[in-house]
Amino acid sequence: MHLRIYRFNPDTDTQPRMQDYDITPEASDKKLLDVLVRLKSVDDSLSFRRSCREGICGSDAMNINGRNGLACLQSLDELKQPVVLRPLPGFPVIRDLIVDMTLFFAHYHSIKPYLINPESPPERERLQTPEQRERLNGLYECILCACCSAFCPSFWWNPDKFIGPAGLLQAYRFIADSRDTATAERLDYLDDVYRLYRCRTIMNCTEVCPKGLSPSHAIEQIRLALLKQSS
Amino acid sequence: MVRLFSGQRAWVAQRFTAVMLLAAVLAGVAWLLLGEPLDYARWRALVTTPVGAVLTVLVFAMLAVHGWVGARDIVLDYVQPRGLRLALLGAILLILAATLIRVVLVLATHGAT
Amino acid sequence: MRTPSSTPLKFLNLWQIRFPIGAIASIAHRVSGVLLLIALPLLASVLARSLQSPAEFDALRAAAASTSGTLILALATWALAHHVLAGIRHLLMDIGIGSGLAQARRSARAALIAAPIIALYVLVRGLW
Repeated sequence: MHLRIYRFNPDTDTQPRMQDYDITPEASDKKLLDVLVRLKSVDDSLSFRRSCREGICGSDAMNINGRNGLACLQSLDELKQPVVLRPLPGFPVIRDLIVDMTLFFAHYHSIKPYLINPESPPERERLQTPEQRERLNGLYECILCACCSAFCPSFWWNPDKFIGPAGLLQAYRFIADSRDTATAERLDYLDDVYRLYRCRTIMNCTEVCPKGLSPSHAIEQIRLALLKQSS
Repeated sequence: MVRLFSGQRAWVAQRFTAVMLLAAVLAGVAWLLLGEPLDYARWRALVTTPVGAVLTVLVFAMLAVHGWVGARDIVLDYVQPRGLRLALLGAILLILAATLIRVVLVLATHGAT
Repeated sequence: MRTPSSTPLKFLNLWQIRFPIGAIASIAHRVSGVLLLIALPLLASVLARSLQSPAEFDALRAAAASTSGTLILALATWALAHHVLAGIRHLLMDIGIGSGLAQARRSARAALIAAPIIALYVLVRGLW
Protein backbone atom coordinates (compact mmCIF):
# COMPACT_ATOMS: atom_id res chain seq x y z
CA MET A 1 0.00 0.00 0.00
CA HIS A 2 1.34 3.38 -1.06
CA LEU A 3 0.78 6.49 1.10
CA ARG A 4 1.87 10.11 0.75
CA ILE A 5 1.77 11.92 4.08
CA TYR A 6 2.16 15.61 4.94
CA ARG A 7 5.15 16.04 7.22
CA PHE A 8 6.11 19.11 9.20
CA ASN A 9 8.35 19.33 12.23
CA PRO A 10 8.26 22.85 13.70
CA ASP A 11 11.69 22.36 15.34
CA THR A 12 13.58 21.57 12.13
CA ASP A 13 11.37 22.48 9.13
CA THR A 14 10.38 25.82 7.68
CA GLN A 15 8.19 24.25 4.99
CA PRO A 16 6.05 21.13 5.02
CA ARG A 17 6.94 18.22 2.71
CA MET A 18 5.18 15.12 1.45
CA GLN A 19 6.74 11.81 2.46
CA ASP A 20 6.09 8.55 0.63
CA TYR A 21 5.51 5.33 2.53
CA ASP A 22 5.08 1.79 1.26
CA ILE A 23 3.65 -0.73 3.66
CA THR A 24 1.94 -4.09 3.43
CA PRO A 25 -1.15 -4.14 5.63
CA GLU A 26 -1.77 -7.21 7.73
CA ALA A 27 -5.01 -9.14 7.30
CA SER A 28 -6.30 -7.65 10.54
CA ASP A 29 -5.86 -4.06 9.23
CA LYS A 30 -9.33 -2.91 8.18
CA LYS A 31 -9.24 0.86 8.61
CA LEU A 32 -6.81 3.61 7.64
CA LEU A 33 -5.94 4.15 11.31
CA ASP A 34 -4.69 0.55 11.56
CA VAL A 35 -2.17 1.27 8.81
CA LEU A 36 -1.15 4.58 10.41
CA VAL A 37 -0.48 2.85 13.73
CA ARG A 38 1.59 0.24 11.86
CA LEU A 39 3.52 3.04 10.10
CA LYS A 40 4.17 4.69 13.45
CA SER A 41 5.85 1.48 14.66
CA VAL A 42 8.27 1.77 11.72
CA ASP A 43 8.73 5.58 11.76
CA ASP A 44 8.03 6.90 15.24
CA SER A 45 8.55 10.50 14.11
CA LEU A 46 5.18 10.39 12.29
CA SER A 47 2.65 12.27 14.42
CA PHE A 48 -1.12 12.07 14.50
CA ARG A 49 -3.85 12.09 17.13
CA ARG A 50 -5.91 9.02 17.88
CA SER A 51 -7.62 7.60 20.91
CA CYS A 52 -10.71 5.40 20.84
CA ARG A 53 -10.13 4.07 17.27
CA GLU A 54 -13.88 3.63 16.71
CA GLY A 55 -15.34 7.00 15.71
CA ILE A 56 -16.38 8.20 19.16
CA CYS A 57 -13.56 10.44 20.37
CA GLY A 58 -13.11 12.42 17.16
CA SER A 59 -9.33 12.68 17.49
CA ASP A 60 -8.10 11.34 14.15
CA ALA A 61 -9.81 13.73 11.73
CA MET A 62 -7.64 14.47 8.70
CA ASN A 63 -7.81 15.23 5.01
CA ILE A 64 -7.87 11.87 3.22
CA ASN A 65 -7.44 12.03 -0.58
CA GLY A 66 -8.81 15.58 -0.61
CA ARG A 67 -11.79 15.04 1.71
CA ASN A 68 -11.99 15.28 5.48
CA GLY A 69 -12.73 12.12 7.43
CA LEU A 70 -11.81 10.00 10.43
CA ALA A 71 -8.93 7.60 9.82
CA CYS A 72 -10.55 5.07 12.17
CA LEU A 73 -13.77 4.94 10.11
CA GLN A 74 -12.10 4.98 6.68
CA SER A 75 -12.13 1.48 5.22
CA LEU A 76 -8.91 0.51 3.46
CA ASP A 77 -10.65 -1.17 0.52
CA GLU A 78 -12.45 2.07 -0.42
CA LEU A 79 -9.20 4.05 -0.71
CA LYS A 80 -7.59 4.99 -4.01
CA GLN A 81 -3.79 4.82 -4.01
CA PRO A 82 -1.60 6.63 -3.36
CA VAL A 83 -3.46 7.53 -0.18
CA VAL A 84 -2.72 11.21 0.31
CA LEU A 85 -3.01 12.38 3.93
CA ARG A 86 -2.86 16.02 4.99
CA PRO A 87 -3.90 17.86 8.16
CA LEU A 88 -7.39 19.39 8.39
CA PRO A 89 -7.51 22.30 5.90
CA GLY A 90 -7.38 25.84 7.28
CA PHE A 91 -6.33 24.83 10.79
CA PRO A 92 -2.87 25.83 12.12
CA VAL A 93 -0.51 22.86 11.82
CA ILE A 94 1.29 21.92 15.02
CA ARG A 95 3.14 18.91 13.64
CA ASP A 96 2.46 16.50 10.74
CA LEU A 97 -1.25 15.65 10.86
CA ILE A 98 -1.85 17.36 14.22
CA VAL A 99 -3.65 20.71 14.08
CA ASP A 100 -4.38 23.41 16.64
CA MET A 101 -8.08 23.20 17.62
CA THR A 102 -8.05 26.21 19.98
CA LEU A 103 -10.28 28.46 17.83
CA PHE A 104 -12.59 25.57 17.00
CA PHE A 105 -13.25 24.89 20.70
CA ALA A 106 -13.47 28.61 21.50
CA HIS A 107 -16.40 28.81 19.06
CA TYR A 108 -17.93 25.73 20.67
CA HIS A 109 -17.74 27.34 24.12
CA SER A 110 -19.12 30.64 22.77
CA ILE A 111 -22.52 29.07 22.04
CA LYS A 112 -22.84 27.95 25.70
CA PRO A 113 -22.98 24.19 25.10
CA TYR A 114 -24.98 23.36 28.21
CA LEU A 115 -28.61 23.54 29.30
CA ILE A 116 -29.66 26.92 30.65
CA ASN A 117 -32.71 26.81 32.90
CA PRO A 118 -33.01 29.09 35.93
CA GLU A 119 -36.07 27.30 37.31
CA SER A 120 -35.21 25.16 40.31
CA PRO A 121 -34.69 21.59 39.15
CA PRO A 122 -37.38 19.02 39.94
CA GLU A 123 -36.62 16.31 42.44
CA ARG A 124 -35.58 13.71 39.90
CA GLU A 125 -35.17 15.03 36.34
CA ARG A 126 -36.62 17.38 33.73
CA LEU A 127 -38.97 15.21 31.72
CA GLN A 128 -39.39 15.33 27.95
CA THR A 129 -42.08 13.84 25.77
CA PRO A 130 -40.82 11.30 23.21
CA GLU A 131 -41.46 13.97 20.53
CA GLN A 132 -39.34 16.55 22.37
CA ARG A 133 -36.55 14.01 22.77
CA GLU A 134 -36.85 13.06 19.10
CA ARG A 135 -35.87 16.61 18.08
CA LEU A 136 -32.38 16.10 19.54
CA ASN A 137 -31.65 13.16 17.25
CA GLY A 138 -29.11 14.08 14.61
CA LEU A 139 -27.74 16.80 16.91
CA TYR A 140 -26.48 15.21 20.13
CA GLU A 141 -24.36 12.63 18.27
CA CYS A 142 -21.76 15.20 17.19
CA ILE A 143 -18.27 14.23 18.42
CA LEU A 144 -16.60 17.60 17.65
CA CYS A 145 -14.02 16.05 15.31
CA ALA A 146 -13.99 19.25 13.17
CA CYS A 147 -14.23 17.41 9.83
CA CYS A 148 -17.11 19.75 8.87
CA SER A 149 -15.71 23.11 9.99
CA ALA A 150 -12.36 22.27 8.38
CA PHE A 151 -14.15 21.57 5.07
CA CYS A 152 -16.14 24.82 5.13
CA PRO A 153 -14.71 27.68 2.99
CA SER A 154 -16.57 30.25 5.09
CA PHE A 155 -14.70 28.93 8.13
CA TRP A 156 -11.38 29.02 6.23
CA TRP A 157 -11.86 32.74 5.39
CA ASN A 158 -13.16 33.86 8.81
CA PRO A 159 -12.06 31.24 11.35
CA ASP A 160 -12.02 33.79 14.17
CA LYS A 161 -15.53 35.17 13.57
CA PHE A 162 -17.70 32.52 11.87
CA ILE A 163 -18.83 29.92 14.40
CA GLY A 164 -18.65 27.20 11.76
CA PRO A 165 -20.90 24.19 11.09
CA ALA A 166 -19.87 22.19 14.18
CA GLY A 167 -20.51 25.05 16.60
CA LEU A 168 -23.79 25.94 14.89
CA LEU A 169 -25.01 22.33 15.02
CA GLN A 170 -24.23 22.36 18.74
CA ALA A 171 -25.99 25.72 19.11
CA TYR A 172 -29.13 24.27 17.53
CA ARG A 173 -28.87 21.20 19.76
CA PHE A 174 -29.59 23.52 22.73
CA ILE A 175 -32.08 25.75 20.89
CA ALA A 176 -34.08 22.61 20.03
CA ASP A 177 -33.98 21.27 23.59
CA SER A 178 -37.33 21.66 25.39
CA ARG A 179 -35.54 21.82 28.75
CA ASP A 180 -33.52 24.89 27.77
CA THR A 181 -35.09 28.30 28.46
CA ALA A 182 -32.46 30.53 26.83
CA THR A 183 -33.66 30.12 23.23
CA ALA A 184 -34.20 33.87 22.65
CA GLU A 185 -30.75 34.80 24.01
CA ARG A 186 -29.12 32.04 21.98
CA LEU A 187 -30.81 33.27 18.79
CA ASP A 188 -29.89 36.90 19.54
CA TYR A 189 -26.25 35.86 19.91
CA LEU A 190 -26.32 34.10 16.53
CA ASP A 191 -27.99 36.97 14.62
CA ASP A 192 -24.74 38.34 13.28
CA VAL A 193 -23.26 38.79 9.83
CA TYR A 194 -20.26 36.67 10.87
CA ARG A 195 -21.36 34.18 13.53
CA LEU A 196 -24.23 32.58 11.59
CA TYR A 197 -24.67 34.37 8.30
CA ARG A 198 -21.30 33.50 6.73
CA CYS A 199 -22.92 30.17 5.80
CA ARG A 200 -23.68 29.95 2.06
CA THR A 201 -25.32 26.51 2.29
CA ILE A 202 -22.81 24.76 0.05
CA MET A 203 -23.26 21.74 2.34
CA ASN A 204 -19.60 20.69 2.43
CA CYS A 205 -20.20 20.07 6.15
CA THR A 206 -22.96 17.52 5.57
CA GLU A 207 -20.91 15.93 2.77
CA VAL A 208 -18.04 14.98 5.10
CA CYS A 209 -19.63 14.42 8.53
CA PRO A 210 -18.33 10.98 9.59
CA LYS A 211 -21.35 10.54 11.84
CA GLY A 212 -23.81 11.22 9.00
CA LEU A 213 -25.15 14.37 10.66
CA SER A 214 -26.35 17.46 8.80
CA PRO A 215 -24.99 20.76 10.15
CA SER A 216 -26.48 22.50 7.10
CA HIS A 217 -29.94 21.38 8.25
CA ALA A 218 -29.29 22.72 11.74
CA ILE A 219 -28.22 26.08 10.26
CA GLU A 220 -31.37 26.11 8.11
CA GLN A 221 -33.44 25.55 11.27
CA ILE A 222 -31.63 28.35 13.17
CA ARG A 223 -32.30 30.82 10.33
CA LEU A 224 -35.98 29.86 10.29
CA ALA A 225 -36.18 30.16 14.09
CA LEU A 226 -34.64 33.65 13.85
CA LEU A 227 -37.18 34.56 11.19
CA LYS A 228 -40.00 33.36 13.41
CA GLN A 229 -38.62 35.22 16.42
CA SER A 230 -38.40 38.56 14.61
CA SER A 231 -41.84 38.39 12.99
CA MET B 1 -20.60 50.43 6.23
CA VAL B 2 -19.99 46.79 6.95
CA ARG B 3 -23.10 46.95 9.09
CA LEU B 4 -25.38 48.33 6.37
CA PHE B 5 -27.88 45.43 6.37
CA SER B 6 -26.33 43.08 8.90
CA GLY B 7 -27.07 39.52 9.94
CA GLN B 8 -30.66 38.51 9.48
CA ARG B 9 -31.69 41.81 7.84
CA ALA B 10 -29.20 41.26 5.02
CA TRP B 11 -30.29 37.66 4.63
CA VAL B 12 -33.96 38.62 4.44
CA ALA B 13 -33.22 41.52 2.05
CA GLN B 14 -31.25 39.18 -0.19
CA ARG B 15 -34.04 36.61 -0.25
CA PHE B 16 -36.84 39.17 -0.70
CA THR B 17 -35.10 40.91 -3.62
CA ALA B 18 -34.28 37.47 -5.08
CA VAL B 19 -37.96 36.53 -5.22
CA MET B 20 -38.93 39.90 -6.74
CA LEU B 21 -36.10 39.77 -9.28
CA LEU B 22 -37.02 36.20 -10.17
CA ALA B 23 -40.51 37.47 -11.10
CA ALA B 24 -38.94 40.32 -13.10
CA VAL B 25 -36.61 37.96 -14.99
CA LEU B 26 -39.48 35.60 -15.83
CA ALA B 27 -41.65 38.53 -17.01
CA GLY B 28 -38.75 39.92 -19.06
CA VAL B 29 -38.00 36.59 -20.74
CA ALA B 30 -41.70 36.07 -21.51
CA TRP B 31 -41.89 39.61 -22.92
CA LEU B 32 -38.88 38.95 -25.17
CA LEU B 33 -39.91 35.50 -26.36
CA LEU B 34 -43.69 35.79 -26.64
CA GLY B 35 -44.23 39.37 -27.78
CA GLU B 36 -43.80 41.13 -31.11
CA PRO B 37 -40.23 41.49 -32.43
CA LEU B 38 -38.36 44.03 -30.35
CA ASP B 39 -38.09 47.52 -31.89
CA TYR B 40 -37.52 51.05 -30.68
CA ALA B 41 -41.22 51.94 -30.39
CA ARG B 42 -42.06 48.82 -28.37
CA TRP B 43 -39.00 49.24 -26.13
CA ARG B 44 -39.71 52.91 -25.48
CA ALA B 45 -43.36 52.20 -24.74
CA LEU B 46 -42.30 49.57 -22.20
CA VAL B 47 -39.86 51.61 -20.11
CA THR B 48 -41.09 55.20 -20.41
CA THR B 49 -44.76 54.85 -19.50
CA PRO B 50 -45.29 55.92 -15.86
CA VAL B 51 -45.88 52.32 -14.76
CA GLY B 52 -42.98 50.99 -16.87
CA ALA B 53 -40.58 53.64 -15.58
CA VAL B 54 -41.47 53.00 -11.94
CA LEU B 55 -41.11 49.24 -12.44
CA THR B 56 -37.74 49.71 -14.17
CA VAL B 57 -36.44 51.87 -11.32
CA LEU B 58 -37.76 49.30 -8.82
CA VAL B 59 -35.96 46.49 -10.63
CA PHE B 60 -32.70 48.46 -10.60
CA ALA B 61 -33.19 49.29 -6.91
CA MET B 62 -33.69 45.59 -6.12
CA LEU B 63 -30.62 44.73 -8.21
CA ALA B 64 -28.62 47.30 -6.23
CA VAL B 65 -29.73 45.90 -2.83
CA HIS B 66 -29.26 42.29 -3.94
CA GLY B 67 -25.88 43.16 -5.46
CA TRP B 68 -24.80 45.00 -2.32
CA VAL B 69 -25.51 42.05 -0.01
CA GLY B 70 -23.76 39.62 -2.35
CA ALA B 71 -20.76 41.86 -3.01
CA ARG B 72 -20.34 42.57 0.70
CA ASP B 73 -20.36 38.82 1.44
CA ILE B 74 -17.59 38.31 -1.11
CA VAL B 75 -15.51 41.17 0.34
CA LEU B 76 -16.01 39.94 3.93
CA ASP B 77 -14.83 36.47 2.84
CA TYR B 78 -11.81 37.25 0.68
CA VAL B 79 -10.57 40.71 1.73
CA GLN B 80 -9.29 40.76 5.30
CA PRO B 81 -7.16 43.98 5.55
CA ARG B 82 -9.47 46.57 7.07
CA GLY B 83 -8.50 49.57 4.94
CA LEU B 84 -8.76 47.74 1.64
CA ARG B 85 -12.04 46.22 2.75
CA LEU B 86 -13.62 49.59 3.55
CA ALA B 87 -12.30 51.10 0.32
CA LEU B 88 -13.76 48.26 -1.74
CA LEU B 89 -17.11 48.35 0.04
CA GLY B 90 -17.23 52.13 -0.39
CA ALA B 91 -16.47 51.87 -4.09
CA ILE B 92 -19.16 49.22 -4.62
CA LEU B 93 -21.72 51.29 -2.72
CA LEU B 94 -20.81 54.38 -4.74
CA ILE B 95 -21.10 52.57 -8.09
CA LEU B 96 -24.44 51.02 -7.14
CA ALA B 97 -25.85 54.35 -5.96
CA ALA B 98 -24.57 56.16 -9.08
CA THR B 99 -26.11 53.49 -11.31
CA LEU B 100 -29.47 53.82 -9.58
CA ILE B 101 -29.43 57.64 -9.77
CA ARG B 102 -28.51 57.48 -13.44
CA VAL B 103 -31.45 55.17 -14.22
CA VAL B 104 -33.84 57.50 -12.39
CA LEU B 105 -32.52 60.52 -14.29
CA VAL B 106 -32.65 58.77 -17.68
CA LEU B 107 -36.23 57.66 -17.17
CA ALA B 108 -37.26 61.06 -15.77
CA THR B 109 -35.98 62.84 -18.90
CA HIS B 110 -37.49 60.39 -21.34
CA GLY B 111 -40.74 60.00 -19.48
CA ALA B 112 -41.28 63.76 -19.48
CA THR B 113 -40.93 64.18 -23.26
CA MET C 1 0.82 21.29 23.08
CA ARG C 2 3.04 23.85 21.39
CA THR C 3 1.74 27.35 21.07
CA PRO C 4 1.35 28.27 17.40
CA SER C 5 3.60 31.02 15.99
CA SER C 6 2.17 34.38 14.95
CA THR C 7 1.68 33.35 11.32
CA PRO C 8 0.76 29.71 11.71
CA LEU C 9 1.36 27.21 8.95
CA LYS C 10 -1.88 25.95 7.43
CA PHE C 11 -2.72 23.42 4.76
CA LEU C 12 -5.11 25.25 2.44
CA ASN C 13 -4.20 24.45 -1.15
CA LEU C 14 -7.59 24.56 -2.87
CA TRP C 15 -6.34 22.45 -5.80
CA GLN C 16 -5.53 19.60 -3.39
CA ILE C 17 -9.00 19.56 -1.87
CA ARG C 18 -11.81 17.56 -3.52
CA PHE C 19 -14.86 19.82 -3.63
CA PRO C 20 -18.35 18.29 -3.64
CA ILE C 21 -20.80 19.34 -6.37
CA GLY C 22 -22.59 21.78 -4.03
CA ALA C 23 -19.35 23.73 -3.60
CA ILE C 24 -18.85 23.89 -7.38
CA ALA C 25 -22.40 25.19 -7.87
CA SER C 26 -21.78 27.74 -5.13
CA ILE C 27 -18.54 29.14 -6.56
CA ALA C 28 -20.27 29.37 -9.95
CA HIS C 29 -23.09 31.26 -8.19
CA ARG C 30 -20.48 33.67 -6.85
CA VAL C 31 -18.66 34.09 -10.19
CA SER C 32 -21.95 34.64 -12.03
CA GLY C 33 -23.01 37.16 -9.39
CA VAL C 34 -19.81 39.16 -9.86
CA LEU C 35 -20.31 39.14 -13.65
CA LEU C 36 -23.88 40.40 -13.23
CA LEU C 37 -22.72 43.07 -10.78
CA ILE C 38 -20.17 44.29 -13.36
CA ALA C 39 -22.94 44.22 -15.98
CA LEU C 40 -25.24 46.43 -13.90
CA PRO C 41 -23.63 49.86 -14.65
CA LEU C 42 -23.26 48.75 -18.29
CA LEU C 43 -26.95 47.89 -18.33
CA ALA C 44 -27.77 51.42 -17.15
CA SER C 45 -25.63 52.81 -20.01
CA VAL C 46 -27.41 50.58 -22.51
CA LEU C 47 -30.76 51.75 -21.15
CA ALA C 48 -29.73 55.40 -21.52
CA ARG C 49 -28.43 54.96 -25.07
CA SER C 50 -31.33 52.82 -26.21
CA LEU C 51 -33.83 55.58 -25.41
CA GLN C 52 -31.92 58.37 -27.15
CA SER C 53 -33.18 57.75 -30.69
CA PRO C 54 -34.27 54.95 -33.04
CA ALA C 55 -30.84 55.18 -34.68
CA GLU C 56 -29.03 54.64 -31.34
CA PHE C 57 -31.37 51.76 -30.58
CA ASP C 58 -30.56 50.10 -33.91
CA ALA C 59 -26.83 50.70 -33.40
CA LEU C 60 -27.03 48.88 -30.04
CA ARG C 61 -28.90 46.01 -31.68
CA ALA C 62 -26.25 45.74 -34.38
CA ALA C 63 -23.54 45.70 -31.69
CA ALA C 64 -25.40 42.94 -29.84
CA ALA C 65 -25.63 40.90 -33.05
CA SER C 66 -21.89 41.22 -33.81
CA THR C 67 -19.55 38.33 -32.96
CA SER C 68 -18.14 39.93 -29.83
CA GLY C 69 -21.61 41.17 -28.84
CA THR C 70 -23.04 37.68 -29.16
CA LEU C 71 -20.21 36.22 -27.08
CA ILE C 72 -20.71 38.80 -24.33
CA LEU C 73 -24.46 38.21 -24.42
CA ALA C 74 -23.94 34.44 -24.19
CA LEU C 75 -21.64 34.90 -21.18
CA ALA C 76 -24.17 37.23 -19.56
CA THR C 77 -26.90 34.69 -20.29
CA TRP C 78 -24.89 31.94 -18.62
CA ALA C 79 -24.33 34.19 -15.61
CA LEU C 80 -28.00 35.13 -15.36
CA ALA C 81 -29.24 31.56 -15.98
CA HIS C 82 -26.89 30.02 -13.42
CA HIS C 83 -27.56 32.72 -10.86
CA VAL C 84 -31.33 32.38 -11.26
CA LEU C 85 -31.35 28.55 -11.25
CA ALA C 86 -28.93 28.26 -8.31
CA GLY C 87 -30.89 31.04 -6.62
CA ILE C 88 -34.21 29.19 -6.94
CA ARG C 89 -32.43 26.15 -5.52
CA HIS C 90 -31.27 28.13 -2.48
CA LEU C 91 -34.67 29.78 -1.92
CA LEU C 92 -36.31 26.34 -1.86
CA MET C 93 -33.61 24.85 0.36
CA ASP C 94 -34.05 27.75 2.80
CA ILE C 95 -37.58 26.54 3.49
CA GLY C 96 -36.53 22.92 3.66
CA ILE C 97 -37.40 21.81 0.12
CA GLY C 98 -34.64 19.66 -1.40
CA SER C 99 -32.20 20.44 1.43
CA GLY C 100 -31.35 16.78 2.00
CA LEU C 101 -27.89 15.82 0.73
CA ALA C 102 -29.00 13.57 -2.16
CA GLN C 103 -31.51 16.07 -3.53
CA ALA C 104 -29.15 19.00 -3.03
CA ARG C 105 -26.47 17.19 -5.03
CA ARG C 106 -28.94 16.54 -7.85
CA SER C 107 -30.22 20.12 -8.01
CA ALA C 108 -26.64 21.48 -7.94
CA ARG C 109 -25.74 19.28 -10.90
CA ALA C 110 -28.93 20.30 -12.72
CA ALA C 111 -28.14 24.02 -12.38
CA LEU C 112 -24.53 23.50 -13.52
CA ILE C 113 -25.69 21.62 -16.62
CA ALA C 114 -28.76 23.71 -17.55
CA ALA C 115 -27.12 27.16 -17.48
CA PRO C 116 -24.52 26.46 -20.22
CA ILE C 117 -27.25 24.88 -22.36
CA ILE C 118 -29.35 28.05 -22.09
CA ALA C 119 -26.27 30.17 -22.90
CA LEU C 120 -25.52 27.95 -25.90
CA TYR C 121 -29.06 28.52 -27.15
CA VAL C 122 -28.50 32.30 -27.04
CA LEU C 123 -25.12 31.87 -28.73
CA VAL C 124 -26.68 29.94 -31.62
CA ARG C 125 -30.08 31.60 -31.92
CA GLY C 126 -29.38 35.13 -30.70
CA LEU C 127 -31.55 36.87 -28.15
CA TRP C 128 -34.33 37.74 -30.62
